[in-house]
Amino acid sequence: MNRSDRTEAALLAAPGVLLLGAVFVLPIAGVLAYGFFRDGVPSLAALDWTSWSRLFADDYYLGLAARTLRLGLIVTLAALLIGYPLAIAIDAAPRRWRTWLVLALLLPLMTSVVVRSFGWLVILGRNGPIVQWLRELELVDRRFQLAYTETGIAIAMVQVLLPYMVLTLLGVIGQIDRRLLEAARAMGAGWWTALARVTLPLSWPGVVGGSVLVFAVTVGSFITPVLIGGLKLPVLASGIYASAISENDWPMAAVQSVALFAVVLIVLLPYALVTRPARGGVAR
Amino acid sequence: MIGERPFAATVAMLLLLLLVGVFLLAPLAVVAAASLSAGGFLVFPPQGLSLRWYADVWGDPRYVQAAWTSLGLALITVAIAVPLGTAAALSLRRPGALPLRGLWEFLFLSPLVLPAVVLAIGLLILASNLAGGPSKAALVAGHVVIALPYVVRTVTAVLAGVDPATDDAARVMGASAWQRLFMVTLPQAKAGIAAGAVLAFIVSFDDAVLVLFLRSPTLETIPLRIYAGLEFSPDPGVAAVSTCLILLAAVAVGVTDRLLGGKQVVG
Amino acid sequence: MAAVSMTGIVKKFGAVTAVDSVDLEVADGRFVALLGPSGCGKTTLLRMLSGLEAPSQGRVRIGGKDVTALPPERRNVGFMFQSYALFPHMTVEANLRFPLRMRRGLSRSQEDARIARALALVRLPDVGQRKPQQLSGGQQQRVALARALIDEPDVLLLDEPLSNLDARLRDEMQLELVELRRQVPITTIMVTHDQHEGLALADDIVVMRAGRIEQQGTPESVYASPATPFVADFLGAANLVPVSVEGGLARWPDGLTTPVDGAPGQHTLMLRQEDIAIVQPGAPAEVELTARIVAAAFRGSSLQLSVEAGGARLRFGAPVQGGYGVGAQVRIGWVRAAARLL
Repeated sequence: MNRSDRTEAALLAAPGVLLLGAVFVLPIAGVLAYGFFRDGVPSLAALDWTSWSRLFADDYYLGLAARTLRLGLIVTLAALLIGYPLAIAIDAAPRRWRTWLVLALLLPLMTSVVVRSFGWLVILGRNGPIVQWLRELELVDRRFQLAYTETGIAIAMVQVLLPYMVLTLLGVIGQIDRRLLEAARAMGAGWWTALARVTLPLSWPGVVGGSVLVFAVTVGSFITPVLIGGLKLPVLASGIYASAISENDWPMAAVQSVALFAVVLIVLLPYALVTRPARGGVAR
Repeated sequence: MIGERPFAATVAMLLLLLLVGVFLLAPLAVVAAASLSAGGFLVFPPQGLSLRWYADVWGDPRYVQAAWTSLGLALITVAIAVPLGTAAALSLRRPGALPLRGLWEFLFLSPLVLPAVVLAIGLLILASNLAGGPSKAALVAGHVVIALPYVVRTVTAVLAGVDPATDDAARVMGASAWQRLFMVTLPQAKAGIAAGAVLAFIVSFDDAVLVLFLRSPTLETIPLRIYAGLEFSPDPGVAAVSTCLILLAAVAVGVTDRLLGGKQVVG
Repeated sequence: MAAVSMTGIVKKFGAVTAVDSVDLEVADGRFVALLGPSGCGKTTLLRMLSGLEAPSQGRVRIGGKDVTALPPERRNVGFMFQSYALFPHMTVEANLRFPLRMRRGLSRSQEDARIARALALVRLPDVGQRKPQQLSGGQQQRVALARALIDEPDVLLLDEPLSNLDARLRDEMQLELVELRRQVPITTIMVTHDQHEGLALADDIVVMRAGRIEQQGTPESVYASPATPFVADFLGAANLVPVSVEGGLARWPDGLTTPVDGAPGQHTLMLRQEDIAIVQPGAPAEVELTARIVAAAFRGSSLQLSVEAGGARLRFGAPVQGGYGVGAQVRIGWVRAAARLL
């Protein structure tokens, strides 16, 4: 390590840091400031809690926040319950299959979320295949649809978020030394036992990492809840949009932004702090 | 993979792969199918098969304009995000060279998780204060922010396989910092940079959140047109445009896979 | 070609002292091996010579010129890395041309001539158009060596040059390096943890431990007269016995005494394996001891015996034909001068 190595690293990092500082950190700080100070200018005199009291007093906003958190938890749980076995299955699959399976995960991820939501609108809608099938089984009446319901939102969001969970888990499960499993087998453990006693504990960091990621992205999601849920089932993100664009109520938009930001950070920061010292790498 | 997997487990896994595979691809398949509808209504399964909606859409000036806008934005995003992201990845390469490395790493990657809505609002406020309203610059800035982490990750992943001693060797042989960068390190990281460019392109092209907040009458992208189409009763034309996006994504996925050959960088 | 001098070198990485006050002089044209276990600071020292690391204290001189403040690109050293560090995206020829390009001043045909000569020197005249990945490990190593030498540096630095090769190739390369030295008598400093390499190739060896130099000298002298138990054990397997010496006699752990040359006091007695032998009838040794065989390992051409004698464990080789078995009592002996006190 030379002084010039250090200078080099600093020079390389600088443009990115400066740009992010200007168009990432600064704008977000600006929004957060709007949430606490009148007109967004920080000063002790301008501290303004009126919007905050509205947030906590008004049922509408509380409902919003509750729905967002509810969705976050349900989607994360579902993604985990589906994603973990799926990751095991993909990891166990023969090499040739594996490429295609991962591509099947990546294709939805790389497709715009409007398109994915569009697809779900059709599937979950009144004339969609699922509802038609349910109607044929006479489980539901003529006007039923899964679109514009919270269940519908949850289903769509699980499909959107599942790849994040699976890819994170795959990364971790793929790193597990096969010989540990072989050793377990040699000591008499059955396949299921080895899974539970060796793979599961060793893949725990992936479980936590994937869950944090999925939760954070779910609560921050905008397009899918808005398209599938419609106006009657808003979440924090759509509340922010409504306050800012439709009602021109910037303080309220800011307050909801702070709330959303806080929720994400509460989940993210402990995870980031705990994993930083252990690895020097960027892989997740 | 342990041998002697119980038959039940194998069946369960195969079933799971099938069901989840369908689940993951269903919305895309449905949209693609609906786009082939010969009739005027968006319905699944489609009534009759025809490509007329594709012709319709590509002849529609609003869609074509939106496509050009999306393309332009994406290319500018790539032009900015790739050099910056590559430089960022290089700066993080040697542990100990950059003080507070964890902090910068978090900064470079955080747009992946932090809500885009909040960023959108922030940029809108900033743009309003500086330029009187939403501007193309603000949108580009937003796209660069969300694209940057992807570039950082792909380049970092490829750099991990590059022998740092090649950099030392070049130094001892008399190369300056620029020469080392352009003649030794970057050529070895080519695949990561290219993959990052593809991902940055697609992330910008696909974005629907930032454009919603930062749009203006002159600034309409393809995702925005799809969104607008969905707010009312969508016709199969919207499905056709959407299917084009799906195809674009498929190309991106294929190219990235080719470039990175199995290194997982998303998720 | 130049002499190398490192004076008062200290290198700290945060709280860790990797190199602790080292003075090293290498005369022009000498081949010096820095020997030692991992973490002893030898590689750090080499990197400081190249300029890739800067010493926390001390000065580095090459050819009489103080280069301590000079970055690596301005020093005239050749460095061969343990991983070879060949550029995978360039052909062998491009790899070799790189240092020449960097220094500039040569015409294309002059560069071509140098490249041809370098490849001939390492006996790989036909690989110019191949990429490093297409070469075998041994070939890559030779290309790396050629690349380090092609620009006619003042000093050649080798970092564990043979450690990535399998045993047979290593022996081959050792001989090749010796031959190369003859043709290119450049001041060379090599880092290795393999004592055989050091002993075989170097004019001088420097044994390092925990950031300090334990001993330096010619291979023969260091081997024959190790200054400390560490050096004795590092260079060739030595038997080390704690003894107390009085009146020309060394008292072994169980009370037995043997004559020995040395001053009184507490010492470590060193006996090299090759100096101990089983006493044959009719051929008494200067110093003898009764021993009980504890273990015997068949080595093909000899038996490796582990015996208990004088309350200590000794290891040495014996001919296979002796038919020595575990539990047997034998007389072992050595020349008096072979037992050295450390």
